[in-house]
This record gives sequence, C-alpha cells and structure tokens, in this order.
Amino acid sequence: MSPIMRQELKLNIKSLLIWSLIVGGLGFVCTLLYSTMDSQVNELADMMSKMGSFSDAFGMSTLSIATLKGYFATEVGVIHGLGSAMFAAFYASCMLSKEEDGHTGEFLYSLPVSRGKVITAKGISIILNLVFFTLICGIFYVVGFAALGEEILWQEMLRFLGSMLLMNLEVAAIAFLLSATTGRNRLGLGLGVALIVYAYDLMGRVVPSLKDYLFIGPFSFANASEIFAGHDVPEYSIPLSIIVTIAAIAGAYLVYTRRDLAG
Amino acid sequence: MRNVIRINNLTKTYGKHRGVADVSFNVQEGEIFGFIGPNGAGKSTTIRSMLGFLKFNSGSIEILGKDSVKDHEAILREVGYMPSEALFYPSMTVLETIKYAAAVRGLDCSREASRLIERLKVDPDKRIKELSLGNRKKVSIICAMQHRPKLFIFDEPTSGLDPLMQNTFFELINEYVSLGTTCMLSTHVLSEVRKHCHRAAVMRDGHLIKTDTVENLITSSVKNVKVTISGQHDEYVFKGDINDLVASLAGKHLDNLSVEEPSLEDMFMHFYDGKEEA
Repeated sequence: MSPIMRQELKLNIKSLLIWSLIVGGLGFVCTLLYSTMDSQVNELADMMSKMGSFSDAFGMSTLSIATLKGYFATEVGVIHGLGSAMFAAFYASCMLSKEEDGHTGEFLYSLPVSRGKVITAKGISIILNLVFFTLICGIFYVVGFAALGEEILWQEMLRFLGSMLLMNLEVAAIAFLLSATTGRNRLGLGLGVALIVYAYDLMGRVVPSLKDYLFIGPFSFANASEIFAGHDVPEYSIPLSIIVTIAAIAGAYLVYTRRDLAG
Repeated sequence: MRNVIRINNLTKTYGKHRGVADVSFNVQEGEIFGFIGPNGAGKSTTIRSMLGFLKFNSGSIEILGKDSVKDHEAILREVGYMPSEALFYPSMTVLETIKYAAAVRGLDCSREASRLIERLKVDPDKRIKELSLGNRKKVSIICAMQHRPKLFIFDEPTSGLDPLMQNTFFELINEYVSLGTTCMLSTHVLSEVRKHCHRAAVMRDGHLIKTDTVENLITSSVKNVKVTISGQHDEYVFKGDINDLVASLAGKHLDNLSVEEPSLEDMFMHFYDGKEEA
C-alpha cells in the first residue's frame, strides 16, 4: 500500500467511523423498531400502499411494510441510500481539492510523486472507505435482523449492499471529478450531486413520463424495495453507471494532471 | 562548472495576467544562489514552474540535467524544497510528518532526520497544529534536508525563525553545500544574500533584471555619494564612470566628500525603482 493511500485512510478513519456508525446505527435502531409495531400494522401498511405516487416513490406499493423485508427496504433502504450517497459525496468532493485548500499541496507535490499517482492513491482510498462503510453498515443490518430473531435474507441483503456500493462509487466518482477542478465550494457541489440523483429517482417514480428515464440515475438500480421484491434492475442502468464512473475518474485524471496547482 | 538549473526563456501567464516573461538564468553546481525581488515579481511563479506545480506557457527548465516536465518525478527525488508557508497535515505529529515525507520518497532517512531534529531542537511528538510558524519551518527544513538532496530550493526560509535558528539553518546549508549540494534561496532578506550567496538574480515585474555575483551586484551598479560644497550638504546615488564624478566636482570648493559602495539594500531599491534594466 502506498504511503499516500495509507495516509488518506488514516486521516479519514474518524470520519468513516462517524458516518458508518450514524448511518448503520440508524438503520439498526430502525430495524429494531419493527418489533414495536403493533397488530394494527397491517392496516397501516395497507393504507400506505394505497397512497398512489407517494407509495410508488418510497417503494411501499412494491412491498408491504408489515413484513420485516418490506419495512427494512422502505425505511432502512432510504436511510442507507441517502446517507451513503452523502458520505460518498462528502468524502470524494474534497479528496483532491483539500491539498490546495489546506495549502498542503506544496508539501505533497514537492515529494517525488506524480499527480497521476496521487489521484490513483486517493481514488483507491475512496473505494476502500466506501467498502468499509458498506461492510460496517451491513453488519449493523444483519445484527438487527438477528436481534429480531428473523431469518437473514442473505441474497437480498448482499444485492442491496452491492448495489448501494455501486451507486456510492458513481456519486463518489462525480464528486472526485469536481474535486479535481479549480473553484470554490466543491463540497457543496458534491453534496448537491448526491441530493440531485436521489431527487431524480424519487421524481422518476412519481412522474409517469419520467419512468422510462429512471435508468439514468444511479438510484434506479439501488432501490431497496425493488431489490427486496426481487425485481430486475432497469435495463442499461448498471452499464451506464459503470460508464459514468469510469468517465468521471478519467475526467479527474485529465483535469488534475493538466492544470496549475493553487498556491 | 556544471549548471544544476538551466532556465531558458521561461514564460508563464495566468490568463490575461502576467506571471513571468522570458526569464533565463543558470545556477551552478555547489553554489548558493540568491533569488530576490519584491512581492509579485515572479519569484514564486518561477519556483513553482520549476517544481511542476505550474504548467508554463513556453521556455524550458532543466534541473540536474533533466527536463522538468518529462523527468518531473526523477528531479524531485534529488530536490529538497521548502515552501514559504510550511503547512502540513494538522493532525499528524512532527515525526509522522517527517517519516511520511521519507516514505513517499521510498527512503529510510531516520538517521539524518534524528540529527536534524536535534540540531533544530524540534519536539517530534508534538502535533503540527500545535506548532508556531517557526517550528513548522523547522519541520519543513527537516523534510527538505533529510534525504540529502543534490539541490535545495528554499522559498523565504528564515521568516518565522529566531536569529539563533537562522544561524543554525545557514550552518546546515553550508555543511550540505560543502558536500556538493547546490542551493537556490528565494528571499527578501538582503543581508542573507550578501552574507551567504555567491550569485544572485533580481526579479522585477515578472522579468529578470540582473544575474551576477553578489559582489558585482553591489560594486558595479551604483555609488553612494555624500558631498558638502560651500557648506551645502547633498547625498545622491551615482552610476557611471567614477572619473565623470570627479570631473563634475572639479573646481568646486569641497568641504567634504564621501564615495561609498552601496549596500545591497541600496542596490535592491535601485533595481526595484526601475533605474536599471538587464
């Protein structure tokens, strides 16, 4: 492991723990709350599944929240989706720019390492952080299922976490590209990207004319309700996500290796 | 003597704004080379172009016989750079920072680092965020020196260092230079240039005004003349043939006359005021 990558992981361990404990912990608590739902949950679930577009947007028309599977997908799915996307954007949008913003770039780039190698090391550290984040959150969720004495739906759970990780990587790649550019408030822009792709997915599920274009957004294949219901992901959504991710990373390389570094 | 730095017609602009234009100079192996000029003269732009932080528009930079663009990484292996701001990762300790710099270089510099830590009296266990500017400068010096580079590039190195540490710093430079290291020193402190540098370059408004030995820069440029004629005292700077000065004073009733070499400060102001071009 390169010293730069090790350094990045070390510097960000606190941030990783805070985000994963908050998101995973919230998901865990939310899962445990399922046991407190009273016998009227069936009526509530029935009512919530008949709220038209609202139910569609939050997946409540796909799965019943009266079951742990449905409850987890609609509640924890939203928490994890939004939380992990925000973490990915937060982490990646400052990854390159922080060296200039914190004036540490003159120290780092006076060492014998090319900008390309710095991008690679920092990029891999983002991937590792997102993997660790997903693993920690996943452990929370599995423990939550186990604590309720329910069967752990390994296949759905792994597909859910894997899809979320892929979505996180796309959001992080776009934020990483923003981080490679000059300018201010890249953190705000990165977080904005995460919120926009989430909002796009919500709108796409509410507005009928947008449904055919859902695949453009990374939340299209990372929708927990669809995953736990066993539905297929929209066609082209995953290949498109991979293309966007690769293009954004390539863009980061192109921009960052060609521009002046701020003093 | 071999040129360690060769800069030819370096031009760098920031959009419509001037950076440096057509800058050319050489730094010879084993010398301490002063790089002087007021704020905004283009010193940092030149240094940042040399280190690859900036993509320059035209010209060429060769360091240690290597092209600064093509052989960027190889050059940085042999260079110890100390930026003017000396900023590091705040949560790291001094020792972690020093070790990190060595690790990125792929070297174990612990012996030299320990010697420098002792000489500069730095607490290795303190966190960077707890350090004063002076102490951060010391960490920067250690990071620049611990791998025993062939070339030092220092940007305003002594600002923030107390006089004792400044002495130690120059002692260290001289020790390394005696072993063959070359040093380029960008500074505003002219006494440092006068005392320690062999040659110097003067920058103004993005242009190189003059490169010469420090001795020549002082003696060849101007003379300070203090003259009292028939009770009237006058002081001025004279440039030109000293015989012309004598001729202009001939036949006058001189009460007192003093012709002195200018200080480096006078020379500096002379160049800055635009009284001399390259």
